[in-house]
Amino acid sequence: MMKSLKRLQEAIWPRFHRNDDEHLSPYYTFQDYRQTWGMTIFILMATALVPLVIMTLIYYQLIETSINTESLLRTERLASNARRAVTFFLEERLDALTFTVNEMGYDRLTNPGRLSEVLRNLKLGFGGLTDLSVIADTGTQVTYAGPFNLEGKDYSNQPWFLECQQHNACVSETFSGYRDVPHMVVAVKSVRADGRFFVLRATLETERLIQALSSYKTGEHADIFLVNREGLLQTPSQFYEGESHHMNIPLPAYADRTKAEMSVDKNGQPILIGYAFIDTNIAPTSFILMVVKQKAGMMKVWLDLRSHINWFFGVSAVIIAMVITLTSTVMVNKIFQADRQKAETMVAAERNSQLASIGQLAAGVAHEINNPLALINETAGYVKDLFTIKQQYKDDPDLVEHIDSIIDAVDRCGTITRQLLGFSRHFDVQTQPIDLKDMVADVINFHKKEAEYRDIKIHVDIPETIPLIETDRGKLQQIILNLVNNAFQAIANGCFLDIRAEMDGPEQVCLFIQDNGCGISEDHLNKVFEPFFTTKKEGQGTGLGLSITYGLVQKLHGNITVQSKTDQGTTFVVTLPVHIQKEILS
Amino acid sequence: MKVLLVDDEQKFALMLAKRLALRGIEAEVFFSGEKALDTVEQGHRFDVAILDVKMPGIGGIELKRRLGLLDERMKFVFLTGHGSKTDYTTGALEAENYLPKPLQIEELIETLNRLTDRPPGASDPDG
Repeated sequence: MMKSLKRLQEAIWPRFHRNDDEHLSPYYTFQDYRQTWGMTIFILMATALVPLVIMTLIYYQLIETSINTESLLRTERLASNARRAVTFFLEERLDALTFTVNEMGYDRLTNPGRLSEVLRNLKLGFGGLTDLSVIADTGTQVTYAGPFNLEGKDYSNQPWFLECQQHNACVSETFSGYRDVPHMVVAVKSVRADGRFFVLRATLETERLIQALSSYKTGEHADIFLVNREGLLQTPSQFYEGESHHMNIPLPAYADRTKAEMSVDKNGQPILIGYAFIDTNIAPTSFILMVVKQKAGMMKVWLDLRSHINWFFGVSAVIIAMVITLTSTVMVNKIFQADRQKAETMVAAERNSQLASIGQLAAGVAHEINNPLALINETAGYVKDLFTIKQQYKDDPDLVEHIDSIIDAVDRCGTITRQLLGFSRHFDVQTQPIDLKDMVADVINFHKKEAEYRDIKIHVDIPETIPLIETDRGKLQQIILNLVNNAFQAIANGCFLDIRAEMDGPEQVCLFIQDNGCGISEDHLNKVFEPFFTTKKEGQGTGLGLSITYGLVQKLHGNITVQSKTDQGTTFVVTLPVHIQKEILS
Repeated sequence: MKVLLVDDEQKFALMLAKRLALRGIEAEVFFSGEKALDTVEQGHRFDVAILDVKMPGIGGIELKRRLGLLDERMKFVFLTGHGSKTDYTTGALEAENYLPKPLQIEELIETLNRLTDRPPGASDPDG
């Protein structure tokens, strides 16, 4: 359970985030693994997401452009169709009036009965007319046929009457006039036999025009209406009627053909405007046909689709980000672990090389000292011989004691030089199968008496599952002996010494030698394997025991580590291969 | 017992010879392998040769080989300032009697007695 939690923590928050091994830093290939991790994620994200974002935006742009173009085209087509309908409506009625004045002449038309008959026929034939009237060149209405009684009214100042005189025909804007009802008129001018002119005027049924326009409406967001050139509404608008019957969207610029363009309404919402300036082939008009569509309405399908695409894109981006983060974390952690292993090897190699060079120096020094030491030994020995063998000064114990102390000192120095030489030299390893349990028992036997005397409890736990180790007997014995000696020196009377072993995988055995003695301070912990390093009092230790042990463990292709806390005790862990490969040894 | 003592450390060799003499062992001292070889070639015979391993010219190992050719019965003891006895558990000196410097005189005497089959303590001049 704990292992799984640790593994999960390692996956989410790997070791390189913590950077807890300052001493390995100089050997790392990448100095800042967090930065490397961040950069990796950034580059991968950018590589994966930027093209995706750009492609999506281009796609959006393409779709929108295509929809806009299509919408403009459709609006223009609609405006064009509606224009044709309006133009046809007006021209049909102007043509009818023209035909009527030419066919019937002034005299017959001024007959009220005839005029009513003409109106009835026209209504039957074309429809869309409310009344008919004949107006003399003075502007006075001469004859009237229709629902209102407007005979004798003066139209001489009406704009449509003036325009009719000028163009021979006219189409008026919507106005209220004498009947006080908004309407529009069409009129044609004709010449009487006496050379004077008269005008035949008809009032159009605006409802019919409005209906005709409405039939072109497509969708709930479209609006079709007529305005004059000042923007005054000529037919009602569903959405765009502003103050005093003016439309509340910008008036389009003049164009002689149907056009469509993008614009915005008074709320700033995008709209499409299709428009046409309407002229008949008989008389000009001031009408502008307006087709207005709300863009949002037309884009709804696309906007819905875009919302789905955005969701899909968002979820994909989150999944990509998660996969990239996870993959980057795992990969960077793998690189970090490999780099860390390399750094540890470098540190170990550096320490080995340091120890080797110190070893070589030690060997040189030891050899140089050995010769004068041998001479001092022999000379002092000879002097002692003179006293003891020759019997001349046998009775002077003081003198003999002094010489003995010289020989003792030489002996002690000799021990040091022998250890130094042993430390520096590389020797062959002779392997044989060794039972670790028996070997530990043998070593403990050396210390049995001392342990009893000092009341030190020795606990050995080497399970039967530990296999025979193929290694060098003498060297392994010396390693264990040195470590046990070391522990005995570190612990006080009544303390304990715990020796246990366990397998580390199928190929390695770990031997733990643990005491609850004085411990090693943190400052000293890194130096314990260095030659001449000792915390013992002068003359009590050479400072070579652990460095020799270190060398021996290396020679057996093993590894030794130490963990210690001051006043709590020390644990040495020796890891050894179960089999030493002969070819490595040679 | 006649002993051939060869060591380039002259004072050491002389002092050791004196100490052996005090114990009744006659040692002829040479400071180089070549001179020792000349002497044996001239027909001088020794029971044991005490040889320093490392010397200028002919070293102890080579000297042993050549002396062995001249006198098959000669026994050998090696002295050296390099390392401890356990260091030489294999190699050229494996089967030889080896004593590290500085010497323990008792150990040397015991080795010489063993090689010449003299009883222990035979070195005592009074014995």
